[in-house]
Amino acid sequence: MNPLVDQLAVGAIIAGALGFFVLRILRKRAGGKSCGSDCGCGTTKIAKPLK
Amino acid sequence: MSTRAPAPVATPARDVLRHVAIAGNPNCGKSTIFNALTGLRQKVGNYPGVTVEKKTGRFFGSHGEAMELLDLPGSYSLQVRSPDEAVSRDVLLGRLPGTPRPDVIICVVDASNLERNLYLVAQMLELQIPVVVALNMVDVAEKNGIVIDLMALREKLGVPVIPMVGTKGVGFIELRQAVSRSPLPHPPICAQMPIVLEREVMALAKQLPVAPEVARGEALLLLTLHDQALDEVAHHERAIIDATKTAQQRLRTAGIDPLSAPVDARYDWIGEVCAAAHHSGGDHHALSISDRLDGWLTHRVWGWVAFLGIMVLMFFCIFTVAQYPMDWIKDGAAALSKWVTGHMPDSDLRGLLTDGIIAGVGGVVVFLPQILILYFFLGILEDTGYMARAAFIMDRLMSKVGLHGKSFIPMLSSLACAIPGIMASRTVENRKDRLVTILVAPLMSCSARIPVYTLMIAVLIPSHSALQKAGIMLSMYLLGLVAAAGMAWLFKRKLLRGETPMLLLEMPPYRLPSWRGVLLRMWERAGLFLRRAGTIILALSILLWALATFPKPDKADATPSEALAQSFAGRMGHAIEPVIAPLGYDWKIGIGLIGSFAAREVFVGTMSIVYSVENKDEENIEPLRDTMIAEKRADGRPVFTPLVCIGLMVFYVLAMQCISTVAIVRRETNSWRWPLFQIAYMTALAWIGAFIVFQGGKLLGFQ
Repeated sequence: MNPLVDQLAVGAIIAGALGFFVLRILRKRAGGKSCGSDCGCGTTKIAKPLK
Repeated sequence: MSTRAPAPVATPARDVLRHVAIAGNPNCGKSTIFNALTGLRQKVGNYPGVTVEKKTGRFFGSHGEAMELLDLPGSYSLQVRSPDEAVSRDVLLGRLPGTPRPDVIICVVDASNLERNLYLVAQMLELQIPVVVALNMVDVAEKNGIVIDLMALREKLGVPVIPMVGTKGVGFIELRQAVSRSPLPHPPICAQMPIVLEREVMALAKQLPVAPEVARGEALLLLTLHDQALDEVAHHERAIIDATKTAQQRLRTAGIDPLSAPVDARYDWIGEVCAAAHHSGGDHHALSISDRLDGWLTHRVWGWVAFLGIMVLMFFCIFTVAQYPMDWIKDGAAALSKWVTGHMPDSDLRGLLTDGIIAGVGGVVVFLPQILILYFFLGILEDTGYMARAAFIMDRLMSKVGLHGKSFIPMLSSLACAIPGIMASRTVENRKDRLVTILVAPLMSCSARIPVYTLMIAVLIPSHSALQKAGIMLSMYLLGLVAAAGMAWLFKRKLLRGETPMLLLEMPPYRLPSWRGVLLRMWERAGLFLRRAGTIILALSILLWALATFPKPDKADATPSEALAQSFAGRMGHAIEPVIAPLGYDWKIGIGLIGSFAAREVFVGTMSIVYSVENKDEENIEPLRDTMIAEKRADGRPVFTPLVCIGLMVFYVLAMQCISTVAIVRRETNSWRWPLFQIAYMTALAWIGAFIVFQGGKLLGFQ
């Protein structure tokens, strides 16, 4: 494999993973009241609480 | 100049014709009715306190009109004792900012327990909001020999009464029709208060800055508060509180106890209603099946035997039944890795795919079957009503540490996940007890710990029987329980002193579990787990692989072990090695501890990545368990000795290692002080626990 393509692909995937966490934090901040997890407790996923 | 009429702005609130609240005693089927009307899947269970927060959904009336439905936490009366009950009271009185006062209340009443449920109905009728009574569980009442005269009940209450069986879909058409009726009549005031009291109530009501419809109900609530509770009222001005106290004084002078007179009046009314509409046949003194089962399951000795037996059975199934699907997932991941290796040239990208993504995500996903089996058992325990019995037998232990059995329900819920467990602590009335419950709930072993326990047990006793493995896992769960009890005792003695409260807990009747409900919950959990694996764990695995791979070693001929040692992850592992060396851990385990700080289960994925990166030159990829068993220190001694394996499990029993729990504790305590304290004490406890296991074991001559 071309070393440049290899490095670019790996770099893009790592940047994507980092971007995922940054977006997650920003979205949570904007979301206000939320359980903040995927635990299934129902706060955000099943039925939303009133704002 | 042209003028344009402003375009109408459509807001969701305008679409909604009515706001409907579902209220009632705990465990009378409110959430079941809510789910059936809205099509949502709000959690339901056969024990009091499943719903601790208001939840909304939308449903349509019999003419297609949209209505907003509000599911409220259960409450025995509007004189609240716990934060979840306060939510119901505040919504019904229109005190909650941003939440409109309901236009209609669906008051769910357990038909098999009519007399007790009618107390809340009496208070609802006093609120002057249209009420529809959903007489739920009429099938259970019939089975118990209770006959309810519906006509007489409707006449006495003065509101629509709909007989229902929520779990079987009976009565929903009639309920929709009743709620859709327009205009809905305001209910009559049923419980007649003494004239002197009524006069004081009306006088106080006139002074209250609230809507005229709720003024009487609000004034009645104020007049029935004792001095200390009145001083704690924050939503009224001081002048109102003083006026209430003066009115109470006048009532006492007139020979009326303001605290008990309204209660007596309501019970007199309930007596009249029951005399007219409630007839119980059969022999009251004969023991029901529930009573007979309780004789065993809440027995001082047999109760514990049953509890431990259920736990052993659960863990045995976790190790036996789950093994087959686990092997399929493991084989699938290995085949995928082999396929990628065979079809791609040696490169960083191939390393990222095989050693990072497949090893990291596959290493965690393999535990899905075990987690689902745990949820299957917990679902059955919740549906049958066993949770309340477990809380009852635990009350003896809990009262010794200063808490009561009610605190055990949040702790039992934490076996699935600490987050709903911490939210369930809202049912605990006393603030200090609630805080202690929140502080110790994450010590109960949650489902995210299963991957760590399973891996370490597999390394510790690879060829032993499933029963022995289940025994070790059970001992870890019991260690979590003992640690939670011990820390609660310490906190109650030193930090949050207070009296040990009495346990008042409703024992729900035993019911057959709803298999559909249990399977649906497992399906939801599987979806959530896979979504988590495909997002957070995937992203973490990529980053951990990058940390374990870069920077590349300066020497071209460096071995993979040397390369790992020089990577960012290797340096981090080496940096914390002095702290973890007394626990018997090497720097690679240190990487696992750091990697799993945000989520415990990532430990397995991290170890998988670390050993995959280190062994990437090897043709045959060995299972993680075998790699860990074969792992040696520089002097040739094995790394994962029995003491290290047990110490690691103990560490994960006691350590916080869950960022989502930190976030929920911050929200529930409304401060950063408690979650930070919790991280500090749990990390210290975990270190001390692992230290005692390793160093104490060595002193005793173990390896």
